[in-house]
Parts: sequence; structure tokens; C-alpha cells
Amino acid sequence: MNIQGTCTIAAPPQRVFEALIDPHILQQVIPGCEKMEKTGEDEYNAHLKLGIASVKGSYTGKVKVTDKQPPHKFTLQMEGKGGPGFVKGTCLIELKAQSSNTQLVYTATVQVGGLIAAVGSRVIEAAGKKLAQEFFSKFSKLIET
Amino acid sequence: MTTPKRYFGKPIKRVEDPRLIKGIATYVDDIKLAGMLHATVLRSPYAHAKVLGIKTDAAKALAGVAGVFTGADVNAKCGLLPCASPMPDQKAPKHTVLAGDRVYYAGHPVAIVVATNRYIAQDALDLIEVDYDALPVVSNPEKAIEADSPLTHPELGSNVSFTWSLANGNLEEAFQKADRVIKQRMVHQRLIPMAIEPRGCVAQFSQADGTLTLWTSTQIPHLVRTLLPGMVGVPENKMRIVAPEVGGGFGSKLNLYVEEALCSHLSMRLGVPIKWIESRRENAMATIHGRDQIGDYEVAFQKDGTVLAIKSRTIADVGAYLQLLTPAIPTLTGLMLTGCYKFKAMRMDVTGVYTHKMSTDAYRGAGRPEATFVIERVMDLIAADLGMDPVKVRLRNFPKRSEFPFDTATGLTYDSGNYQGALRKAQQVGGWDALVKQREQARQAGKLFGIGLSTYVEICALGPSKIMAAGGWEWGCVRIEMSAKVTVITGATPHGQGQETSFAQIVADELGVPMEDVVVLRGDTASAHYGRDTYGSRATALGGTALIMCVQKIVAKATKLAAHLLKSKPANIVFRDGKFFVKGKPKNSLGWRVLAQEAYVAKNLPRDFEPGLEASSFFEPKNCTFPFGTHIVAVEVDRDTGEVEVVKYVAVDDCGHQVNPLLIEGQVQGGIAHSLGQVLFERAVYDENGQLLTGEFMDYPLARAKDIPRYIMDSTITPSPSNPMGIKGCGEAGTIGATPAIANAVCDALSPLGIKHLDLPLLPEKIWRAISEAKVK
Amino acid sequence: MIPSAFEYLRPQTFDDAINLFAQHGENAKILAGGHSLIPTMKLRLAQPKVLIDLGRIADLNYIREQDGKIAVGAMATHHQIETSELLREKCPLLCEVAPQIGDVQVRNRGTIGGSLAHADPAADWPAAILALDAELEVAGPDGARVIQAKKFFVDLFQTALKPNELLREIRLPATSKAVAYVKFAQRASGFAIAGAAVVIRPESKAVGIGITGVAAKAYRATASEKKLEGQPLASENIAAAADKASNRVEALNDIHASADFRKHLARVNTKRALELAAARAER
Repeated sequence: MNIQGTCTIAAPPQRVFEALIDPHILQQVIPGCEKMEKTGEDEYNAHLKLGIASVKGSYTGKVKVTDKQPPHKFTLQMEGKGGPGFVKGTCLIELKAQSSNTQLVYTATVQVGGLIAAVGSRVIEAAGKKLAQEFFSKFSKLIET
Repeated sequence: MTTPKRYFGKPIKRVEDPRLIKGIATYVDDIKLAGMLHATVLRSPYAHAKVLGIKTDAAKALAGVAGVFTGADVNAKCGLLPCASPMPDQKAPKHTVLAGDRVYYAGHPVAIVVATNRYIAQDALDLIEVDYDALPVVSNPEKAIEADSPLTHPELGSNVSFTWSLANGNLEEAFQKADRVIKQRMVHQRLIPMAIEPRGCVAQFSQADGTLTLWTSTQIPHLVRTLLPGMVGVPENKMRIVAPEVGGGFGSKLNLYVEEALCSHLSMRLGVPIKWIESRRENAMATIHGRDQIGDYEVAFQKDGTVLAIKSRTIADVGAYLQLLTPAIPTLTGLMLTGCYKFKAMRMDVTGVYTHKMSTDAYRGAGRPEATFVIERVMDLIAADLGMDPVKVRLRNFPKRSEFPFDTATGLTYDSGNYQGALRKAQQVGGWDALVKQREQARQAGKLFGIGLSTYVEICALGPSKIMAAGGWEWGCVRIEMSAKVTVITGATPHGQGQETSFAQIVADELGVPMEDVVVLRGDTASAHYGRDTYGSRATALGGTALIMCVQKIVAKATKLAAHLLKSKPANIVFRDGKFFVKGKPKNSLGWRVLAQEAYVAKNLPRDFEPGLEASSFFEPKNCTFPFGTHIVAVEVDRDTGEVEVVKYVAVDDCGHQVNPLLIEGQVQGGIAHSLGQVLFERAVYDENGQLLTGEFMDYPLARAKDIPRYIMDSTITPSPSNPMGIKGCGEAGTIGATPAIANAVCDALSPLGIKHLDLPLLPEKIWRAISEAKVK
Repeated sequence: MIPSAFEYLRPQTFDDAINLFAQHGENAKILAGGHSLIPTMKLRLAQPKVLIDLGRIADLNYIREQDGKIAVGAMATHHQIETSELLREKCPLLCEVAPQIGDVQVRNRGTIGGSLAHADPAADWPAAILALDAELEVAGPDGARVIQAKKFFVDLFQTALKPNELLREIRLPATSKAVAYVKFAQRASGFAIAGAAVVIRPESKAVGIGITGVAAKAYRATASEKKLEGQPLASENIAAAADKASNRVEALNDIHASADFRKHLARVNTKRALELAAARAER
């Protein structure tokens, strides 16, 4: 499953880049994130509690920032598992200056497995998009203030 | 079949139905035993992964949990699951009852919990922690045979499970001298059988006498009894298998499954009865799937429509393991690839390929629907290529009625046939000429209207033992009780097909007793000592014949007794309408009531006469049977949405002599419903990571009542010489005959747009896209 | 297919239900028919600790005329709506939508309120509610308020209901017979891949068009509506309007239909629904 999107953030790329790889900020904007712990350089463990409709679940996972090319792009690698199944994905984030703003383009490839994949195929892509949008809208708000 | 019968051939309502309709029949889940515990299976969410560790402590500690077992606990003590149809060059992984240090498909059993009820068992299951390390997955069989593909079972060194070839005739010459050659790739999509009752079993081991009783929702209690002893270490003569009411099998319960062995093993281990009932989700992911062949087909033919040869290279996706008959399914495709046509050269090369998916195996039609689909699509492709009427192409290639028994290019001998007759009758009852006119008018009005037909032949009544893995005979027993009531026991294990009715009809006629006096027992190895069960449309032809043999023995014995009581010689005794009398003196006759009394009271018997009136028989057929027929379908395709509406459905089937036309109609209707699903909407979808995305009825559609068109049904009758009643079988005819007919109709509807072929299922979006692309051209 | 343990509560009045819901908060789920919730619970994807069943609240299950509008209680079943004489006379769109939901068993248990509050992107009711410009009365511990249909559906499975609010009543305007609902259903589930509900308001020469199944939430096809404003319902006008039914919509994509196909079907079904409604207007 591929999820793509763009958003414009009212801050210059350098600032956006730094904020996006800052675990304190990530923790605040990753949907349902309850806790993030650093486990290595650019590597974190995350605990998430996510719910869409009545489907709620707790997930533990790893987040890793790789291929950093500040302030242009980097890759976010994510892996998580929980009761309803598992998720594994990479997300390429590209930043472009647009006058005083940043245009952000994200391209994610996500693998979903287990129960949610088997019974949720009808809405899983929409749910993924919703979470991605939530992430970036929270992020823009946070960084713009 | 010379004298008219009282029951044979009559559309008698099924004696099974009242209990089914009232909901008072006994299925596996209705069996409740004292002290019974409930098992639930933990399944892998990964299609391929290393199992690094399994933590079961929390699950074991839950109140009400009797045990939690992993591969480490049971695999050494429980044997491997057998495949009964191995191929000479086959490479096969060890099929343990639970996963070892790896899992090979999403749904692979990893652990089993036994608890006092299903709720606790499920709670405990959620407390098991499995540490998986995901490994590369291959879910596409064509990619699986590429050099750089991940391996399903790395220890095998290749994803090729087996290869199989069948060839006959001079293929090269045929292709050389042919006026025309057509190539077409066809995909036979993966299907999920989805019987309404999922699988389930109850195992009860008696520590008192060492017997194991297994109630299981199966088509094949006898084959289970043959195979399970080797897995659980209980000898065959201490094993009783019972198939209670079975809520649909369609081949998916023609198998031995790990859960049956696991429950048996754990009942022995824990000393209590254990029940396991499959959930719908498990049924979708861990009960065998059907079809999943991809073939490249090439056909050589002449300008006049005469077919010279067909060849194919086929990949059969077997899934992660070989189940009971997995490798045999594509071989049935090969054997039937030439359909009901005369050409003498063919070749089929099959490669069985492992992928990280559930196993494929027999699903209604089992290999024959693939063959029929190919050859019947090919006939239409030839017709389109030559601008010929598809009916004429078929007529040109049929063997004549006088050419039967007919030897096919694949090495079979078709028992009897009248393909022209069935085709003519279908055209007649379906109003062919009017339909063609209707198509013309519809097309003029801008509608996408199509007519399709299929003239199919299938192989049934499997079969002579020489072609089967472990016996192709059938067994039966008939007993006239002391009260003259009749008990019939069949080894054929009907499970919904209606033989409790048709066998009673057969036996009642042969004995000259009322049908109401006959009871048919099935499905319990304690009473049906031997049997080869129901699959391959075999039960009536073979099981019915075994019963006729029993009746013949009983009548012969009763004739001796009657002669003794009437003070005559057996040669002078006439048996008619249930009465025995001395030739010429019908008024002084003895009926079964008197004879049964005398036979069991046993005070006045002929010398050396064994008491009782009971006989059992094995029937070994000399050949299979080859039912055939013609299905004609008219469809209209919605240009804007791609939806297909079946406007007319005509089925003319020839399954030889008919014991009960009502049962046949039901079987054919159900078979067509399965075909409608296969052609129009059913498909198992696995993503590239081996996740099954159609794991529930939310995403896997079956044909429902409103999807079923009104059928026009009729038959021709060409008796089979393979058994004395001349019966051919009809359990799969609908599925085999209908699939290509519906597909041909849709392709015909789309043909004015230049669309030649679409693979199944013909989903609206696929059709819409094809129409859109055709417009662009 | 075995749910985890839960406490089952069955309030007798709507106020009790609100209190219980406030008390149990996010541990609780509302049972209002249960045709989405129970399957999810059986798969253990949802494991609510408390289930509050609204099934016994007598004053939530009604269909009546009230202040010139039709009021439908949240717990009215699809079947009750399908067979309501009042609706057939005064708001026939609902009677056309209801029989297209699920199957008989679903319609006997499932409720309009349960469906709307669940906000499944492919449910049928949202299309009708939007096309009709319905009002939804909701209530919580802080009292009742009215939400316009077009503001009710926020996102995928997300409504304007606050976490402690319950849907009480759906209020609908009376319409003429010039309405229609045309749906392309997903084969397996029966949910809409694209459903278009149309209400023609001859008095104001306007149409309302609600579309479900296509996007993450049901929406008003406002571009199509504008195109027809004040225009006669001639076939070329209808075609031009329907053409805009999925403009600028980010469509769902799944194994059953691609985003392209959904957008196409939204256009086709909008056209068909408009034609059907227009034909009914003439009669």
C-alpha cells in the first residue's frame, strides 16, 4: 500500500527538517504516541495507542531516521506490532523551499499484516491516509506556533 | 432398467430435509460430552517468519486453561500430515501439526490452547507472545520460479514442488500442418470453498479400552481412519471416525487436517474429550483453497474448424504444503484437457510451485473446471478467429455417438456419449434461434449482449482402484431386520447430496418394499466398516451399485429359504414385487416379513443355511464415467458500470440414468451457483506479503439467492456402461459446465468492441477498463 | 469469533444512557443494532469493557410528524423505515434507501442512528441524510444541540458528535416523490462502492445530491448541485451536472474498486439517480 501527500508548512526547510527528526516533536505529532525512547542514534522505540471507529489497539514499534540529507530529505522507517496485527513501512520525506514556507512531500510504502489486513482491507488505506494527514497537520500547527 | 420401477427415476423429496430445515440435525458443534474441553488454535499473522520464541506462561496461568501446546510440545509425538498422491519427482517439506521454528503461511498453526470453554481459550490465546522475525515472502507463483525468488521452504532449495507431463499424438506435425495457431494465456484464479459450516471436530480417547472416537466435519471418515492411525499411534481397529451432519464440503473437507490430529493427540494426552470449532476467518485462511493454475495454451487447427492439437504449460500454485490430494488436481486438468473433442495430439506440462499461501487441493470440480474452461474458451477463440459459428466448430470436432467407447488423446476411454444430442436439446429448450435474434436486436440498440455455450464432458465415479491411491471401490451393506424393516449402510458417506433418499429408492425397488421401510446409515466407521466416501461425483454410481450387489445376494439367499418353506427348488422360485413364489403359483407367496422371521428365528432353515438376511459388498468399477452436457447462457453487460446480468441460463446435462431427477436438479443448480461466483466475483486475494485480504464474508463474496438467474433445465439420458445402473454422476457437472459458458457469453457480449479474452473473475471494474481501453483504440 | 468479556448495560431511558456513557467514557461502546460493532468485537478488534444497549429505550424508536418535519428516532430500524407509510408518503427517499441496506437480518436489527453515528464511509444513510439536508439532534451531559447533516460527517468513521454525546433524532423535511437512490454495491459486504442519493426540490428549482462509498466520508456533490440550480432537468443538463459528482474528491481505493472506478461510478450513479428522480417528478 502506498500513501502519498503534500502539505505546506509555514517555516523554512531547515527548521522543518530539524523538527521532523526531533524525538520530542515526533512524540507529540505521531498519532496515538504515548511514549518514545531513544535506543540509538536516530533510533527510537515507540508505544502507540491507536483507534479508528471501535477498532482500538496498542502497538509497540521502532522508528528509525535514515538517509538524512538536510534540509532536503530523509527516510523514516517504522515497524510496529500489536493485538490487531503488524505494520511495517518506510516514508520518504522531501522538503522544498517555497518563499518563506516549506513544501513537504511524503511518499510512504506500508505493509500491513495480521487481523487488520485480513478483515480491514476495505478501509485500511483510508485509515493510513487519515493518520498521515493527522501527523502532518499536527506537525504544521506545532511548528507554526 | 427394463421394467418401470416404483421409485427409481421419480422426483421424490429428500428424506434428509425435514431435520435440516427444522434445525434439529446434529452437526459437530452440537456434540457435547461430559468433561469436554475446548481447543483454540493460535495462527501466524506472518506469511513467512522465523519463530524466535513463544511465551506461554501467562496463558497457562489463566484460570480454566488445561494446557498450552507449541510445536516443541507435540511435533515429536504426533506424526506428519500425509499427502496421498505424491509425484515421482516431488520435493516436500515435513508437514508437522504445529509450526516448528518457522511459519510458512498466514494462518499457519503455531500453538493450541485447551480450556474449559471457548471464551477462556480465546483469552489465553491472546496472552501467548510469539516473537517473529519476518522473512522474505513469495506469494506469486510465477515469481516463485524465477531464479532470485525468495524460497518458500529454504531447505528444499527450490520452489518447484513437482513436475508432471502428459503427452500423446504427433504434436509437432499437428502444429506444422495446421492452417492456424492461437496462443492464449489463462488464469484460473484462487478460490476459497467457504462451506457454510466451517470445519470442526471432537476427539474422545477412552483410556479404558484405548479407543479413539473422532467426530469430524469431513467428507471422508474412512480415509481419515486409514491415515490418522499413523499420526496419533492408535491402531485402525481402535479408531472410530464419525462424520455427523456436514454443512457443505465441496472438496474442502476431502482432506485430513492438522487440527484433527492435534485434537486426537491432546485427548489422549489429557484424558478428556476435546472439541475444536473453526471460525470463519480460520476457514478462509487455513482450510484448503481451490484452482490457482496459470497456463499458456496453444492450439493448432484447420480453416474448417477442425482442431489438431493443444499444448499447455501450466503453473499450479500448491501453496505452502501438499495436502491430501494437492498434486493430483492439475493431473485431472491434463486428463480432461481435450474435452469432448476428437483431436489426437496434446501435451500438458505442469509445474507445481510452492508459495507462502494456504494449500490448494480439490474444490468442486477439482482440476476438471480448469480443463473445461480452457478447451471451451479455445473453441470460442477458434470460432472468432475463423468467423465461424461456435456451435459449428464444436460439431465439427465431436466424436459421433457410434464412436463410443471413445479413446481420447489423453489416454482415457470415454464410456458413452451423445454430445450432438445434448447440444441440440439445449438449443431447442433454450430457444437458440430466438436468442440469436435477440442478440442482433440488442446490439442494434447499442447494448452489449452476448451468448455463450459450453459443451462439456467430465470424469466422475472415481474410479477403478488402479487409478486411485488407495482403492476406488465402494462398499455397502443391506440388512433385512427381523421385523422386515431394511437397514442400508453405505461407505460412500454422502454429506448433503441426498443419498439417504436415492439409496432408499434403489434398495426399496430392488427388494420390493416401501421406501419408508428403508433407513440409510452413513458417516460412521463403526457401522459403515469400509468405504471410500464422497468426492468426484462417485457416491450414487459406485455406492449405489454396491447396494444392488448386496440386494442380489440377499435375494439369492431368500430364494433358497423360500424354496425350502414352499417345499420347492430354488430354480423354481420367482421373486417379484417383494414376493417369493413357485413359478405359476403367485397366490401362495412369501413376503419379507415371513422370510425375515424364519431367517432369524432359525428353527426351520434349509440344511447348511446361515441364519440372518444380511449381505455386504465391494463394487469395483471397470472404468470411470463421463457425464456431459451443454450449457447456454445469455448475458447483458452494463456499458457504464461493467456489471453482468445473466439474462438466460439453459442447462442440459446427461448424467446417465437418473435415480431422482430432483436431486440432480439440486446438484446442478448448486454447481452453477458456484460457477457464477467463480466467473463473476469470487477470488482469494493475497497481497505481495502473503496476507490474505479476503478473509471474511465482508470481502469474499459468494453467490446469493438474488444472484441466481432462473434456470431452464433439461437432460438427455445416455446410460453409462461402467456400472449396472448406467449412472454417471452429477455433483460437479454444474461447476464444470457453467464456468466457460458464462465466460463465453461475457466475451461474446464484448466482442463487438474487439475484446477477445478476459480472465476470471469478470469483475465490473475489469470489464469497465476493457471497454474504456477498447474505446480509446 | 469469540468476543472478550464485557459488562452489558441496558438503560431504560435516554437520560440514563447519557449518564452511563458519561460515567464509563471511552471504556464504553454504544450498542444500537450492533451490525458493525458486534463483528468487530467477535474478531476482538474492538474490546470495549462496557456495552450500553439502547435497544430498550422506548422513546428512541419512532417515526412521526412533528412541527412540519418528519422525526425519526435514532433507534428506528432499517426495516421500520423501509415499511413506514408516513415516510413513503412524506419522505420517500428513506424508503428507497432502506431496502438496499444489507439483508433482511441486518435490516431487522440495524438502526439509522447506529449507522449514522458509526459514519462508515460506505454506509447508505449518510448519502440520503446529506441530500435531504437533514438535522440531527444530539445530546450529552451538557444538553442537546442540533447538527446540520453537512456538518455531521467529519472524516473516516468520525462525526461531529462529542465523545460523550449520543444521537437522538433525525429530522427530515417532507419532499415530493422526485427522489432516488442508486447504488453500486460491493458484492461481498453489500456496502456502497458508490451510492448517489438525489432530492429534487421543484419549488426552489434546486437539487440535493449526497454521495457515499466514494471518499473517506459521505459528501454533498455541490458542484453538480450548482450546475443544475435553476436549470431544467433536461438530459444534457443532468449529464453535465453528474460529470462533476466526484470532482476534486480524494477517492478510496481498495481491492474491490480503485479510486478511478469509484469516481466513475459516482458520476454514473448520480446521472442515473437524477434521471430517475426527474422522471418521478414528471409523474
